[in-house]
Amino acid sequence: MPRLTIDNRQVEVDDGATILDAGRKLGIEIPTMCFLEGCRPSTSCMVCVVKVGGWGRLVPACGAIAEDGMRIETDCQEVREARKAALELLLSEHVGDCMGPCQVTCPAGMNIPLMIRQIAAGELGEAIATVKRDIALPAVLGRICPAPCEKACRRAMFDEAVSICLLKRYAADVDLQSGKPYLPDCRARQDKRVAVIGAGPAGLAAAYYLAQEGFACTIFDEHEKPGGMLRYGVPREKLPIEVLEAEIAIIERLGVEFRGRTRIGTALSMTDLRKGFDAVFIAVGALKTGDLKWLGVEAGENGIVIQGKTYETSVAGVFAGGDAVRKRKLTVRAVADGKEAAVAIAQSLSGQKLTGPAEVFNTRIGKLRDGEIERFVACASGAARLRPAQQGSGFVEGQAREESARCLHCDCRKAENCMLRRYAQDYEARARRYKSELPLFVQHLQHPDVIYEPGKCIRCGLCVQITSQAGEELGLTFIGRGFDVHVAVPFDHSIAEGLKRTASQCVEACPTGALAFKKP
Amino acid sequence: MDKSDLTFVNAAVERIGGAPEKVLEILQAVQGHYGYLPGEALELVCELTDITPAMIVGVSSFYNQFRHRPVGRHIIHVCVGTACHVKGAEQVYEAFRRHLGLAEGDDTDAQKVFTVERIACLGCCTLAPAAQIGQITYGHLTAETVPTVITDFLQYEESRAQRKDRGRRLAVSRTDSCGEVRLGLGSCCVARGSGKLRDALEQALDETGVRVTVKRVGCVGMCFQTPLVEVVLPDKRSFLYARVQPEDAKAILLRHFKPRGARRISNVVSTVLDGILTDEKWQAVTRYAIDVRDEPVADFLDKQRHIATEHCGHIDPIDIDEYLLNDGFKALQKCVKELSPQEIIAEIECSGLRGRGGAGYPTHLKWSAVRRAESEKKYLVCNGDEGDPGAFMDRMLMESYPYRIIEGVAIAAYTVGADEGRFYIRAEYPLAIERMSKALEQCRRRGFLGENILGAGFSLSLKIVAGAGAFVCGEETALMASIEGRRGMPRLRPPYPAESGLWSKPTLINNVETYAVAPWIIRHGGAEFARLGTSGSKGTKVFALAGKIAHGGLIEVPMGISIREIIEDIGGGISGGKRFKAVQIGGPSGGCVPAELAHIAVDYETLNDVGAMMGSGGMVALDESDCMVDIARYFLEFTQNQSCGKCTFCRIGTRRMLDILERLCGGEGRKGDIEELDHLAEIVKQGSLCGLGKTAPNPVLSTIRYFRDEYEAHLQKRCPAGRCRALITYSVTDDCIGCTLCAQHCPAEAIAMKPYEKHEIDSEKCIRCGTCRNICPADAIKVE
Repeated sequence: MPRLTIDNRQVEVDDGATILDAGRKLGIEIPTMCFLEGCRPSTSCMVCVVKVGGWGRLVPACGAIAEDGMRIETDCQEVREARKAALELLLSEHVGDCMGPCQVTCPAGMNIPLMIRQIAAGELGEAIATVKRDIALPAVLGRICPAPCEKACRRAMFDEAVSICLLKRYAADVDLQSGKPYLPDCRARQDKRVAVIGAGPAGLAAAYYLAQEGFACTIFDEHEKPGGMLRYGVPREKLPIEVLEAEIAIIERLGVEFRGRTRIGTALSMTDLRKGFDAVFIAVGALKTGDLKWLGVEAGENGIVIQGKTYETSVAGVFAGGDAVRKRKLTVRAVADGKEAAVAIAQSLSGQKLTGPAEVFNTRIGKLRDGEIERFVACASGAARLRPAQQGSGFVEGQAREESARCLHCDCRKAENCMLRRYAQDYEARARRYKSELPLFVQHLQHPDVIYEPGKCIRCGLCVQITSQAGEELGLTFIGRGFDVHVAVPFDHSIAEGLKRTASQCVEACPTGALAFKKP
Repeated sequence: MDKSDLTFVNAAVERIGGAPEKVLEILQAVQGHYGYLPGEALELVCELTDITPAMIVGVSSFYNQFRHRPVGRHIIHVCVGTACHVKGAEQVYEAFRRHLGLAEGDDTDAQKVFTVERIACLGCCTLAPAAQIGQITYGHLTAETVPTVITDFLQYEESRAQRKDRGRRLAVSRTDSCGEVRLGLGSCCVARGSGKLRDALEQALDETGVRVTVKRVGCVGMCFQTPLVEVVLPDKRSFLYARVQPEDAKAILLRHFKPRGARRISNVVSTVLDGILTDEKWQAVTRYAIDVRDEPVADFLDKQRHIATEHCGHIDPIDIDEYLLNDGFKALQKCVKELSPQEIIAEIECSGLRGRGGAGYPTHLKWSAVRRAESEKKYLVCNGDEGDPGAFMDRMLMESYPYRIIEGVAIAAYTVGADEGRFYIRAEYPLAIERMSKALEQCRRRGFLGENILGAGFSLSLKIVAGAGAFVCGEETALMASIEGRRGMPRLRPPYPAESGLWSKPTLINNVETYAVAPWIIRHGGAEFARLGTSGSKGTKVFALAGKIAHGGLIEVPMGISIREIIEDIGGGISGGKRFKAVQIGGPSGGCVPAELAHIAVDYETLNDVGAMMGSGGMVALDESDCMVDIARYFLEFTQNQSCGKCTFCRIGTRRMLDILERLCGGEGRKGDIEELDHLAEIVKQGSLCGLGKTAPNPVLSTIRYFRDEYEAHLQKRCPAGRCRALITYSVTDDCIGCTLCAQHCPAEAIAMKPYEKHEIDSEKCIRCGTCRNICPADAIKVE
């Protein structure tokens, strides 16, 4: 039985065990994408490389046999660099967007494609949960948002953008009309209090997410009723007051306290607030002359100065967001600020490192080339953009489904469990480190449940092994050699014919979004 | 396709068998019959055998040999090996395409007569640039000669059809003749002096008393090689000589025919000299077996030492009796009768022999590892998959000394306890396969193979497996996967083949040359071998010398000889009066050694130290007109295409390196590109799974190391060697005499004809093929 050391820890393993096995025995996690228990190691992705002390060589842990006396390092600089390099090489030919262009463009980063798939599947409960993960006031925004997401919508290159904003409004309206609107789960109450100054979109959103984190929130506003500009600035015919009030009511049901007719600086001073609360979030909207005096924070050309992603002002424990910090006023941006500031405030209050929301890794196809858009449209309905019967009104049920069928699903259906994305994030890989031309986008849709996107394949061959082991009549195979090698069904048969019995097994095994279920 | 068309598939499967490992052989048969692999045929193979669709599609798409589209009647393989590349293969390839009017994306002309393909290396580097059409190899091509070649080939095809009829008549009329000399007297031959040659031949016949008839024949087609002489022996073997001068007439006659009253002149054939190619090497080019003017043999041979190539030029490759007369199988006798396996291994250890396939692993260690492995079954493999562009040593050895290789293999098999073996020979070497098969058959007949060999109770059966065009199959684990009928994918070692090789049994795998020197070592003793060479690299090494060298060819030299001795003394220096710039050693795994380092000794360690590698022994000399960035690009293009495509570092890393090199050569280099190349080279070298990937960056690293200024020039959109087409322009200088030759020959019609005036080149139309520069009598074409 070979004895070896991994990261200076001794371990003894059975004959024939791999370095990966040995690492696992010690509880040392070695990243791997192409390895799957029950399949032969393909030693292809090379993300599992470790350094073998004696030879100073890098070997793939999944396939390298553990030998007596080996000294293995799994986390030194050299190993981390090599893994990052492998990831960056894989990403250099990765044809896919982790997040759709719509989501990337949405200031609130809402997962639009997922919401649309849920609407299409009639799963409206799931759809509103998806929406509200990022947008606290969707019924409101569904009426007044200028919808930057639709400007980025890839479908617009073909005919017109998907009517994203109205779909969101539909999800939110159905929820409000249901009588038991969606309430997010809140964590247990914590012994920390946050003061929010201003009950406009930024303040309301911050309170909504802070309440979910278990903090006691009080919103102060000089007006009698909450809503800020939404109540006092937006024309009623555009935004009916009942809609606004219904969404505010949900926030209040989470335990958020509203104190109207309380102008900070007169009724209460900042000093009072900072004494009575553990953190303060300033969301007073566009600054008025004199505001700065009582706020006591530094300001610049665009408003209150905050530190990048943490929303912290020049005063520790005091945060600011919304129109108070930026020149360009956009309600959806204010709502996003509220959400993001809530994350930062929660970090600060729970003693974590104050970083603001984590940057999520994202790959992008970028600008499409000739003929590519048609390939995207293949998965969607060819119908023209649907318009509600009356301007200003929303979709009714059938319409929402019909419109949602126009979505091209530019995002990755495995964005949440893609190993490539996960490790790219962990190793801080840069998606476009090598500025090479990407292959053209391809998707195979013939299978009823599974979609195959060769551009996302890392050639690990797990699906090839699985189909072969299961005795699929056709299965999948490697075609070609070298850089151009790809996985396909033999004799140009469709993916449906290749995966008659092993489709879900292959989807589970596929480390990326190359093989994925079509349904959410 | 008509169903009845598939009867061949049934027959082939019946004949070959349906086990999964037969897949390559079946595919080769199917393609041999249909010219390509029709999908229906492959599906039928799957129905008839244990081969699955996934396997057959995976395998057939892995190897370059296989085509999935119908092809023309004749396939033109334009060699793009290293030697051909530096001599303008790409221009030749494009000239073929242009001449046949192929549109982009097409490889076959509209009439479906010709298909044009690039081929990694035909292994006839001294003929560079070369192309093969059907069974005929054309050498020393230029963009300009391409139309002639096509015409010639078509005429040849026509005349061949006629000859089939005429042949019978001739055979009858020649029964009591002792042969004949045919002299091409077509118009082009006459134009190039064959009339004088005829007189010289007649005179030589008088002087020597040789009794053969000189027969005039019509144009045999190869006009650019005229005058041509064809010598036909009574046994109908035929030899063809190109560009024969009158003074050569006598030598040619004496080479084949006994002068009256004198003993037969030994069939000494300097098969190794450039321009001295005979059918000993070139059965495939019999018709064109080119040019046997006895050139500077002394210099060429002086520094050589023939061990693997013992009896070079004297011995009939497939005459087993001749081999036996020259100490053949004595070493095997000695081994099985007098020596124990341990003693043989000790002898090999004493010789200091290291693997000649490239990596230089001590041979005795390999042999003793396989000997020690406990298994009731062991295999042996002879690696003849010489895939390096620019290398043809193994081909030459297999074609010329098949018995010696078999003897070495038998000694090794006896030593390690293997009773079954495979020769893996690349399909691009049909003559090597043919000769090895014939030799194996002879050995079986004479009891040197089979059961109870030499009565010593030792048995060995050997078979040939034809590779199918995949450089990576030179890697031992990939090669074994290929023999087992799979895609040639290398795997991680350990386990080494000595523990788990072919069909998971202990397997000895060595290169052709390694086996070929074993008999000599046994006969003369390891110490004698070790007397040659340096402290770490003993004995001799066979090199294929090609490129910009005066006398290219196959040489065998003691280890430790300097590069300068090889290039200048043996090779006669750089051809065409150009300056020696560097020598590329070791092909895609090796590097470029600059002229300043020509003093270094050729051995494993020294070559590694300077960033090159012994590799299998290809040496391509480069001169001042060769661009080192282009050389690096050339090799990366090769390796990224030949990578098996398994591990990320090699599959994508080499591609990204190539992206940068293509950018540089295309005049689109960006700041930081050189550093980026360096970075990529390091990670590919460090992280790749097998030898192919680990060594693929060497051509880049070595050229950056010695020729960084050229990389920097490319960043500034300059190609100092005037080679990278995107970076150069052709123009006519005031030296132009207005002869119109350039205008007449320009294949792109970029030069208007202006008699007695200075000509001009239209840069837009110019394809930078170099035709004008070559043809200009006044040296008035400038390239910047």
